[in-house]
Amino acid sequence: MEYSALQVILVFIVTFIAAIDQFSFLESLYQPIVTGAVIGLILGDLQTGLIVGGTYQLMTIGNMPIGGAQPPNAVVGGIMASVLAITLHLEPNIAVATAIPFSLLGQYGVTLIFTLMSPLMSRADKYADEADPKGIEHINYLSMCLLGLVFGAVVTLFFVGGQAVGQQVVDAIPTWLNAGLSAAGGMMRFVGFAILLKFMMNRDMWGFYFLGFGMALIVSNIPALATPALLILALIGFGIAYWDYQQNTELKGAAQLMDGGEEDGI
Amino acid sequence: MASNETATSSYQDRTQYEDLTPAPDLDQKTLNKMAWRSCFLQASFNYERMQAAGWLYAMLPGLEKIHTNKDDLSLSMRHNLEFFNIHPFLVTFAMGLIASMEQKKVDIPTIRAVRVSLMGPLGGIGDAIFWMTLVPILAGITSNMAINGSIAGPIIFLLIFNIIQFALRFGLMNWSYKMGTQALDSLMEHMSAFTRAASILGVFVVGCLTVTMGGTQINVTIPNGTTEAYVAHTAVVENDKVDDFAIISSDAEGNTTAGMYAADGTTPLATVDADGNPVTAGAVDLGNGMSEVTYMEMVESPVSIDVASILDSILPKFVPLAIVLFLYYLFAKKNFTPMKGIVLVLVIGILGAGPFGLWPSIWG
Repeated sequence: MEYSALQVILVFIVTFIAAIDQFSFLESLYQPIVTGAVIGLILGDLQTGLIVGGTYQLMTIGNMPIGGAQPPNAVVGGIMASVLAITLHLEPNIAVATAIPFSLLGQYGVTLIFTLMSPLMSRADKYADEADPKGIEHINYLSMCLLGLVFGAVVTLFFVGGQAVGQQVVDAIPTWLNAGLSAAGGMMRFVGFAILLKFMMNRDMWGFYFLGFGMALIVSNIPALATPALLILALIGFGIAYWDYQQNTELKGAAQLMDGGEEDGI
Repeated sequence: MASNETATSSYQDRTQYEDLTPAPDLDQKTLNKMAWRSCFLQASFNYERMQAAGWLYAMLPGLEKIHTNKDDLSLSMRHNLEFFNIHPFLVTFAMGLIASMEQKKVDIPTIRAVRVSLMGPLGGIGDAIFWMTLVPILAGITSNMAINGSIAGPIIFLLIFNIIQFALRFGLMNWSYKMGTQALDSLMEHMSAFTRAASILGVFVVGCLTVTMGGTQINVTIPNGTTEAYVAHTAVVENDKVDDFAIISSDAEGNTTAGMYAADGTTPLATVDADGNPVTAGAVDLGNGMSEVTYMEMVESPVSIDVASILDSILPKFVPLAIVLFLYYLFAKKNFTPMKGIVLVLVIGILGAGPFGLWPSIWG
């Protein structure tokens, strides 16, 4: 199937916007149910786009970004499923399955971008030192553009190059590179934690860090509590903090009174 | 880089704003602008600080109004750029509270502690509202409309999702800002106790996050020699062939390597099967001229030590805890910059994965 230059550009623009929207802006435009319909309109087959988008959307319901996890990427997957269904006349279910390698590629891409974006933060620190709000704004705009461009370029490449290219690219990425980057990506948050601790920690506080660690181990290992784990933990933490606050304010007087009372009794 | 580091150290030493006069209340326009900008919380999401720069971007309209002193604005921007991660749809709740604290010029450790404390509970609530309730129900209904070819599917999905999202964003922003300004007036009396309590909660939450967000695990199996064990086989043979299975083969020392009986020819061999049930060798006459024979074969199988299960038996999430404490040591005692920490983590990650297939990946 031949595409007009306009269609290629429109697919690029839709992907650009959806890529940004998956994390920022409305955080709903990127959902396959929406992109399927839009891609269908662009390629002149709205019905197929709607059906594929709906099918893909149902599949993602169990695959939500809960707790910051990165599921197979719905932007690349949803758009490619519609493209494949319309251009290759695939059945909706087969198109969705065929798009899976592409969605995995999108997942790698997200991991890679989030890892490589980390060094940008020292630049942001510099803007903060200079009290330069414009600099912070530019960093955010720049990051969004990068994300959109990478996704747009990749999807457009697949759109023009076809299904075989997708599989080739997936195969060409060495597993060690992917494993190493995702392991590093998973550890980078520890840098953030350690810096927070550096600012908040003093000698009295270590106990509360380990208390939180221990309580979280317990709560998160009980399957029934896995979802509300952080809320439960926050309640426990709040209880401890509030008790400490009371000790230092209202109860301080009471404690002293009680001490006095005991002395009298002895 | 050198100038950057001097600035870093001066920012660390400062715990109070220079201008401690509370700023006038933020007007509705500024609050709306902040709520709108909160949509871009994750614009520059990355694995080191997560939403930090997006958070600062959203806070800036307020911060610029509050901190007219340039040094104070810089200080405020710096500490609002620290690690931050919260549910994107509920972030304005945190923004309103922190904006009210900035406005009252609360000291920085307190603001930081409250901001960190907020990371815990809102994530779980947001996931429960959006990804586990709203989206599955809404997407489930509208997807079926789309599959039936109705363009109303995607349109209804977008409408309902965004009405709820924006109602939450603007509603929480106003509510928490007002609540924060009122609550702070009474808290101001006991500021040092409040700071301490908020820090306790903050440190506690970082301890929890080390567990709930720490997925790093070392997954290595070390081969530890081999073990020999009998594996039971059964066969149905003619009765006169049963004796052939008594001792099929023996090794140099006379021990049976395959067969029903030990070297003495009378003691039946025994072993345990994969489910842990004991199995004894022997023959059962089936009564039709055939016998069911259970015989043993010596099989050599490799033994390995699973590092992950050993670590888990010492302390689950030991690896995340160790990395956090090690990085804390580097940052607090060795004056590492965050950048050095990131490079270190990147190198460890790639090396651990066995670059170019030089060794097997240790990450699991």
